[in-house]
Amino acid sequence: MNWQSVFAAMLPEHMLLLGIVLLLVLEISSDKPRGALPLSLVIVGAAAAAAAWLALGGYSAAPFPGHYSVSATGLLAKAVVLALAFPVLLLARDDFPEGPFYPLLLSSLYGFCLLLSSDSFLTLFLGLEIMSLPVYVLVLLAFGRPESPEAALKYLILGGTATAMFLMGVSLLYGGSASLALSVFGSALASRDIMAIAGVVLIVLAFFLKAAIVPFHAWAPDAYEGASLSVTAYMATIIKAGVLLAALRLFGTAPVSGSMVDLLALLPLVSIVWGNLTAMRQQSFRRMIAYSSIAHAGYLFYAFLGDGPGRFQAVVFYLLAYGVMNVLAFASIPAGANDTERDRLDNLQGLFHRDPWAAMMIGVAMLSLAGIPPLPGFVAKFLIFKNVIAAGYTTYAVLGLIGSYLGIYFYLRVIQMMFINPESASAPRVTLAPLALVASLICVVPAVVLAVFPGWVFGRF
Amino acid sequence: MGDAGLLDLVLFLPLVGIGLLIAVPAGEGRMLRGVSFWVMVVQFLLTAWLYAKFDASVGGLQFETRLPWIPAWGVYYQIGLDGYNVLLVLLTAFLGPLVVAGAFTAVQKDVKLFYSMVFLIQFAMLGAFVAQDLFLFYLFWETMMIPMFLIIGIWGGERRLYATYKFVLYTAFGSILMLAAVIYLVWSLQTTTGVPSFAFADLYRAKLPLSAQTLLLIAFGLSFAIKVPIVPFHTWLPDAHVEAPTTGSVILAGVLLKMGTYGFMKLGFPLFPDATQTLLPVIMTLAVVSIVYGACLALVQNDIKKIIAYSSISHLGYVMLGLASLDLLGIQGAVIQMVSHGLTAAGLFLVVGMIYERCHTRDLAAYGGIAKLLPVYSLFFMILTLASVGLPTTSGFTGEFLVLLGAFTASWPQYQQGNSFPLVLAVVAVSGVVLGALYMLRLAQQFLFGVAKAPHAPVADLDLREKLILGTLVVAIFALGLFPDEPMRKTELAAKQFQQLVTTARLPGGTP
Repeated sequence: MNWQSVFAAMLPEHMLLLGIVLLLVLEISSDKPRGALPLSLVIVGAAAAAAAWLALGGYSAAPFPGHYSVSATGLLAKAVVLALAFPVLLLARDDFPEGPFYPLLLSSLYGFCLLLSSDSFLTLFLGLEIMSLPVYVLVLLAFGRPESPEAALKYLILGGTATAMFLMGVSLLYGGSASLALSVFGSALASRDIMAIAGVVLIVLAFFLKAAIVPFHAWAPDAYEGASLSVTAYMATIIKAGVLLAALRLFGTAPVSGSMVDLLALLPLVSIVWGNLTAMRQQSFRRMIAYSSIAHAGYLFYAFLGDGPGRFQAVVFYLLAYGVMNVLAFASIPAGANDTERDRLDNLQGLFHRDPWAAMMIGVAMLSLAGIPPLPGFVAKFLIFKNVIAAGYTTYAVLGLIGSYLGIYFYLRVIQMMFINPESASAPRVTLAPLALVASLICVVPAVVLAVFPGWVFGRF
Repeated sequence: MGDAGLLDLVLFLPLVGIGLLIAVPAGEGRMLRGVSFWVMVVQFLLTAWLYAKFDASVGGLQFETRLPWIPAWGVYYQIGLDGYNVLLVLLTAFLGPLVVAGAFTAVQKDVKLFYSMVFLIQFAMLGAFVAQDLFLFYLFWETMMIPMFLIIGIWGGERRLYATYKFVLYTAFGSILMLAAVIYLVWSLQTTTGVPSFAFADLYRAKLPLSAQTLLLIAFGLSFAIKVPIVPFHTWLPDAHVEAPTTGSVILAGVLLKMGTYGFMKLGFPLFPDATQTLLPVIMTLAVVSIVYGACLALVQNDIKKIIAYSSISHLGYVMLGLASLDLLGIQGAVIQMVSHGLTAAGLFLVVGMIYERCHTRDLAAYGGIAKLLPVYSLFFMILTLASVGLPTTSGFTGEFLVLLGAFTASWPQYQQGNSFPLVLAVVAVSGVVLGALYMLRLAQQFLFGVAKAPHAPVADLDLREKLILGTLVVAIFALGLFPDEPMRKTELAAKQFQQLVTTARLPGGTP
């Protein structure tokens, strides 16, 4: 172990840890603590900047060989996702003026950073759990409706199930190989040994549960709806990114073949279709986003059909486009009288006439999520389906694309509500809060970069 | 050449227009209209300049710009004018100011958004025409959908939601299949050559087995056929036209439908020549069915807009027939027919829009003897009707005549070899001309002549703005009808290239 590399390689994590400690000290040091939000912003910004700085310097090191290592592309992905937490934090201002929200969120981000650099099942597990555990609490925090505790409990129990499945799978793999290195998973993928196959299947299903792939999706709409807006935004973007990037760590560049292909394509395909179909009927914005995210998880797992470096590129670019656009939509949702009120899709009726900026931002976000060019969501989808076709699974690609076609309707429905429908009489006449406006502006910059220079962006990964 | 970047300027001018509109306060309706109109005029003037400078004796791209965009995929921002698109670009730019001016009085709601959407769709349409890179083309192709969704959805008639969703869900379905085909095509090219490329010029050299070609042609073709539209993929069109505001109908009929036939000409047929040759009887049959079926449906409609909508299906059937004849004159006729239909259908939708603004109904039975009530209006109406029928001296004649000539020229040698099917199709297609005269003259007779009646009478005749709009269109129609030589020379080399591409087998294993 080299202390210097421990310091440098884990700089983003150290920043977050420092932030957590400071926030806790702040919490206990005064009766009316202030400044949690600015402090968190500074910490997250510093962590993202540190990761970006290391990445741009081409830094790579293995401070804990076999358990934890960083590479330039991994650091860049870390920087990008940490930067995405920035607007999410800004959104939280309304729901969580103070309190345990901030240290919990930073802890979750800490777990995220850890899993992104993990080399062994041990660190991966640690990372996943540190990332997930605070979120169970976050769902429950500042709840405004009776469903919230139920949602949090559901999320906790199913998250626990996923953890159990993951550990069971890992122990099977460990039993067969006597190694905790992540590369075991890659070789188990090609293995015909029943224990290895069982281990792989258990681990994959655990990830499906965490990413809300049908039929393991039922917790997502409830959890998304029960949580407050900023937490939902956090779950829909960063947690989803964390789960997928963890899966990416596991799969590495190992090729997927044989019956694994069907496992990795069929359930995601069903997710795409089911998520898109069910989203059509939702009346709540967060439930709609939940079903949309179920479909998006399907596209993301599709990327695993292709192998090699294209997989990493496709997943990271997709997560980026998806994350930025989702946060943009969340940031632009006009404030409501209370949390339940704010969540109603009906509030968007005639929004264009009340607040053209918000309507246009939500519109752009929806069209991008629908994958309509020239928005970033299109290039992201293109990248994934290109990999799937290049891997030779044309039928799955065509079916997936047709599934994505089903999604166009409900995204357009939001556009219709905002631009075509007249204003609803009951809609609150409040517009964007200044901080939310800042958050949406922060998202616009990467959105434009992603749309205009997609090649430059995915060339980095 | 001193004109480098001029085409880019023309292409991006609508986006500049949107920028200007954003700067104008929303309440300033007059100023918003003025800005939109003059930006469109400038765009047309620049395009006309490009058209005049377009050298008919040189094949290939002119005014080309080629910049790397996504180098890893071989995607280039590559645009240029060639014989395929030069007339269509001119048509699009020509209709721009007329579309904007045509909406001055009709659109009072959300003026800013309206003209922004018109600019956006103008940008997308021009882009799809000038793009020389499949990725870029697809981008523009898809971008057209959303502004049209809003134009029909916000400013349309009573059943506008139904119509606009139908439009989007139809076109999006075609696009999704095309996307799969695009990825597959480019990926197969990459595996054979080792270099990823989306450039049309490279894709024209792709060699694919017949089965793959057929599937890809069907995927591309379905997308294009929905846009054209070819029977049986046409059912979105009457709804979209009827519910769309006049501007929407004019854009749809004037330019958007040509996107489909242009797609067949630039991509569908030349990319998959062997599949095209195999499926040619099917394509020609569908074209002729569109001609006759569209005409028959137009004959029994009582909604004036529906008559014109169905007539569009019939007229674009000619374009498909001309392209599928693979005869030089037929191909050129198809191009002329595209432009001609763009002018006449745009004009007809404009005149219908003008009477609708006055009388608030499109029901044919509500009208009669308009010639006595509105003499100037009726004059324009009659000219446009006759141009649509294809009266000699109008552009409609040139197009239809050349297409039919091409169809006969192509079918005659086959007939002599004992295959009478193409000849029968050509003969049936001629009946479309008769039916066309029948439904248009029925419309004119019931509408213009007989007992004078109109809802909300007395109605005012055309004002200066309306006269200028229609006058410009009529001049263009006669110009194209009387002097088709110049535009035909500009398309000749492209038509030859198209003919050569489609008739040369390109299966793997053959000599390069």
